[in-house]
Amino acid sequence: MKKGTFSRLTLIGIVLTSSSTLIILQMLHIQNSTKHQELSQWADEEYSYAIENYTPERGNIYDRWGRLLAGNEDVYEAGVMLEYVTNPETIAQTMEGVNGLTYDQIYDVVKQKYDEENSIYAVITDFLPSGVIDVLSDVKQTYETENPYGKDKEKPSLRGLIWSSHLKRTYPENSLASNILGFYSFRDRREGLGYYGVEEYYNDLLAGNPMETFMPRNPYMLESLPEVPAGASLVLTIDREIQAMVEKKLDEAIKEDEAVSGTVIVLDPRNGEILAMATQPRINLNQYWKYEDEFKDRVPYNRAISETYEPGSVFKVLTMSAAYDAGVVDDETTFPDTGRYEEHGAVILNWDRKGHGEQTMQGCMQKSLNVCLAWVADKKLGEDKFYEYMQAFGIGRRTSVDLGGEETWPLSVPGDADWYPVQLLTNSFGQGVAVTPIQLATAISAVANDGKMMKPHVLKAIIQDGKQYNTTPQVLGVPIKAETARTVTAMLVKSLENESSLALVPGYSIAGKTGTAEIPVEGEYSIDLTNASFAGWGPADDPQFLVYVWLEKPKKSPWGSVVAAPLFSDIAKELVVYLDIPPEDAQQNLVAKEG
Amino acid sequence: MAKKSKQAYKQAPWRRQIQSVGISLLPVIALVVVVSIYLIISAQSASAGLEIMDMHYEEEEILRIIANQRTELAWKTSYTEMVKRAEKNGFETAPSESVHFMAIPGYTGQSPVLLAPPPGSENTLGPIVNEYYQQSLWDWVYNTFLTSAQTSEAAQ
Repeated sequence: MKKGTFSRLTLIGIVLTSSSTLIILQMLHIQNSTKHQELSQWADEEYSYAIENYTPERGNIYDRWGRLLAGNEDVYEAGVMLEYVTNPETIAQTMEGVNGLTYDQIYDVVKQKYDEENSIYAVITDFLPSGVIDVLSDVKQTYETENPYGKDKEKPSLRGLIWSSHLKRTYPENSLASNILGFYSFRDRREGLGYYGVEEYYNDLLAGNPMETFMPRNPYMLESLPEVPAGASLVLTIDREIQAMVEKKLDEAIKEDEAVSGTVIVLDPRNGEILAMATQPRINLNQYWKYEDEFKDRVPYNRAISETYEPGSVFKVLTMSAAYDAGVVDDETTFPDTGRYEEHGAVILNWDRKGHGEQTMQGCMQKSLNVCLAWVADKKLGEDKFYEYMQAFGIGRRTSVDLGGEETWPLSVPGDADWYPVQLLTNSFGQGVAVTPIQLATAISAVANDGKMMKPHVLKAIIQDGKQYNTTPQVLGVPIKAETARTVTAMLVKSLENESSLALVPGYSIAGKTGTAEIPVEGEYSIDLTNASFAGWGPADDPQFLVYVWLEKPKKSPWGSVVAAPLFSDIAKELVVYLDIPPEDAQQNLVAKEG
Repeated sequence: MAKKSKQAYKQAPWRRQIQSVGISLLPVIALVVVVSIYLIISAQSASAGLEIMDMHYEEEEILRIIANQRTELAWKTSYTEMVKRAEKNGFETAPSESVHFMAIPGYTGQSPVLLAPPPGSENTLGPIVNEYYQQSLWDWVYNTFLTSAQTSEAAQ
């Protein structure tokens, strides 16, 4: 009995031990087999992580006081899980009219056949606001209560209809500053890009780093959770209130003066910050796809940086500054104006086709005498110095303003195949040379800022990784001495006062110059078609703003002094209030009180 | 007494077997206890991990809600809306001629906008997960008993 028991126990023990050993051996075999390693790797790849395409939130764009100009809002994509659709008619009926969709359009999508390989989910529509989703959710819930799981095919059911939220680019100010901001093609959710303006220039910063991430399914792999930072936000130098005011004034002026278009740039000459930049046409950025309706026939998106034109007499500010800086003229220099200057096989006439007799340089600028400036460039400066100065002022080169789409027109200089000596004469008063408004505003800002030309820019700060990095203004160059800049500024203040210009701003000393450039039509310049402009800055003793105005082909009057100068004045009158600049007498009183 | 025990074992050898079984089972029981503790901790870790994952998705949703609310606020305070509201309340733009300037001691004008702290103000973030949840059983025993024992010895 004892022996039998022992034998059975021994037998059981041997069997169990052998089985266990075999199991352990098999486990070891499996663990170390190549097949296991392949399987393990496959399982890791397939089940440890889920691949997710993560697009970080696009950075916001603010104005200089932190007011949102471009942000993101929550919208929904609605679609159907084809496998679960029980009543396509109900879905088509319920969603009819949403985003302008018809019953048939929806039905065609929903009625698609489920196919595990190719057709699991179908998008009905996208960019639905949360209000629509709330309604859909209520209806779906009601139907689900009345007809659980959509079992009764005769009863309505929204089974299979699902929605998911995502962010969409939004511009709360609609068309305000649209030429500066540009737009983001948010309707293309995979390949969306920034076009024009800030959205294009800073696209990489705003977009962040969209990436394909491996989201761990294993809860132990906490350390592997991907951190995808949002795109950087930008604070612009633009002041929303000033921008709105400038756009309004420009629109009114274009309408009143019957101009084809217009451009206004307001910048701070001390640091190159652009406070406002308005042009026409503008678009509602929330409907950017209508862009082609507005910008027909190669009309540039932002004329201020993309359209080159002959600026006319405003350019004389640069010629006269160059002459004073080179020391070839001074306050005592006089010019006998006969109304005609004949050199290099060409005849130069004044704008009024008249002679004005003996003139000082002050008189030449005040009366805007082409003949005098041609003489200064030709006989006093000479071609080498003239073009040296023009290049120092950045004419013919991009300003590198931080906006997408800046253009330039090359400056022809002696030695170039397309340069002729007569160009020296015409260039001196702004004909035969092409600039963009931003180029000219930047060049003239050197005169307003003691000879120092600051790089024009719209970016004030970048907010990235929870920190605000302010930008530092950059000096583009110092084309003239501070003394020259002050002399020319004083000359232009006096010019405006002497002629009782419409550009004057009561209580403030303003320096400025009008421009009326004839536009060539079929090779002939016509006085009926002009570019009317005005560049002015103030207060003259401590310039805090520079305003450049350009009206294209105004019909009411072709003269810059009649149409552009008043627009400058209108803008400057409000600008001094926005910028807290007291009139000169008030300033003196304030200083006296403080003293 | 010892004689009695020997006698008892001789009379009932199954006691010896039970003793052997008991002795051989002890490490198994110890192993089971350790495995149980390991499983409990693993389960808790997994639960915490899942919670963190949920919170990760929740964070994404909250960020989306914040972005949405910020934009909604911007719509409500947009230039056009503010002008409409001002006009509705009877305000009108003051012409520049009617603006009077006065000196206010200490007022330096509107400060530049600061939407985030400047780079200099580094905030050193503490660990997000409490160290108690990161240490092993051995770490805990070492830190709680051995280190505190050493500290009290040093204090004496």
